[in-house]
Amino acid sequence: MDNDKTIDFKDLWKKQTVNEPNIDDILMRLKQFKKANLRSLWKTNILLFATSAFILFVWYHYQPQFISSKIGIVLAILAMAMYVAVYNRLLKDFKHIDTTQTNREYLEKLILIKRKQQFMQSTMLSWYFVLLLVGICLYMYEYTSRMTVLYALFTYAVTLLWIAFNWFYLRPKQIKKQEKKINDLIAKFEEINNQLL
Amino acid sequence: MEFEEIYKTYWDRIFRLCMGFVNDYDAAQDLAQETFIIVWQKLETFRNESAIGTWIFRIASNNCLRQIEKQKRFPKTELPIHLSEEKQQSIEPQIQFLYHCIAELPETDRIIISLELEDVKQAEIAKIVGLSEANVRVKIHRIKEKLTQKFKENGQR
Repeated sequence: MDNDKTIDFKDLWKKQTVNEPNIDDILMRLKQFKKANLRSLWKTNILLFATSAFILFVWYHYQPQFISSKIGIVLAILAMAMYVAVYNRLLKDFKHIDTTQTNREYLEKLILIKRKQQFMQSTMLSWYFVLLLVGICLYMYEYTSRMTVLYALFTYAVTLLWIAFNWFYLRPKQIKKQEKKINDLIAKFEEINNQLL
Repeated sequence: MEFEEIYKTYWDRIFRLCMGFVNDYDAAQDLAQETFIIVWQKLETFRNESAIGTWIFRIASNNCLRQIEKQKRFPKTELPIHLSEEKQQSIEPQIQFLYHCIAELPETDRIIISLELEDVKQAEIAKIVGLSEANVRVKIHRIKEKLTQKFKENGQR
């Protein structure tokens, strides 16, 4: 570099050592990528399938007589199916975000998706608990109705206590954890996007 | 263009862009590979409305921005072994310092200056980042000033 004024940044920049492009590496990576994709698809589907199978087994094996039990089971399945569906959709949103837009458009899209995720997560989690709670209480009715009043009350009390613990302790904690992560990210993306304004 | 051809033509440039963004050899290698995976996936949808370079650089820079969120999608251990063996750390301090300074800039400035140093035309940079050409020119000027300043302070000339 000859004088103070001009440092040849371009020259320096291009002197960075770079590994030779290796087509085998990238092909291997592609294979891994395809496998991972397939695996995640399997995971969600197996989970959904196993849960439904279990519930159907309960349905057939215990032969609930009351309509309340049947509604309860349906509600519980619904809660779980909704949970899986929403997560799948969020994941899809992320996968299909167009990476060939300008950085600015891309960042705006990322922020939008994150906002949507933030809303969906907290709303969905509440719905999930409500559906599950109602489902369980309805399902239990058939069996508690055969117990003495005292036992029935006790059974409901224990269940409700457990649900209350989930609702008032676990749910807010979970939401808070998710929110913090998402809010930090949104803030970061917004900050970057502001660099372009 | 065939994928293999694109890969061979652009590998170096994409790697340097990623390196300017993260200033970490392994992470840059990862990001560059991810970029080409996306390129491979999307190649069918490329319709020549823009230059292929612009298209690829958009994917690469967006992927860099995205990594802020998902830092461990591909665990490092899954990297082919000989990649890390070939790794060369001891490059001239001046080069190291340049990459260090660039990686300290605001995220979008990193992308802009990397593209400029890669000899991408300013009109193209504008199309990649999503700014006006005039804006890009001003930014490049300021970034270069900043870099020169840092080099002077550091006595690296």
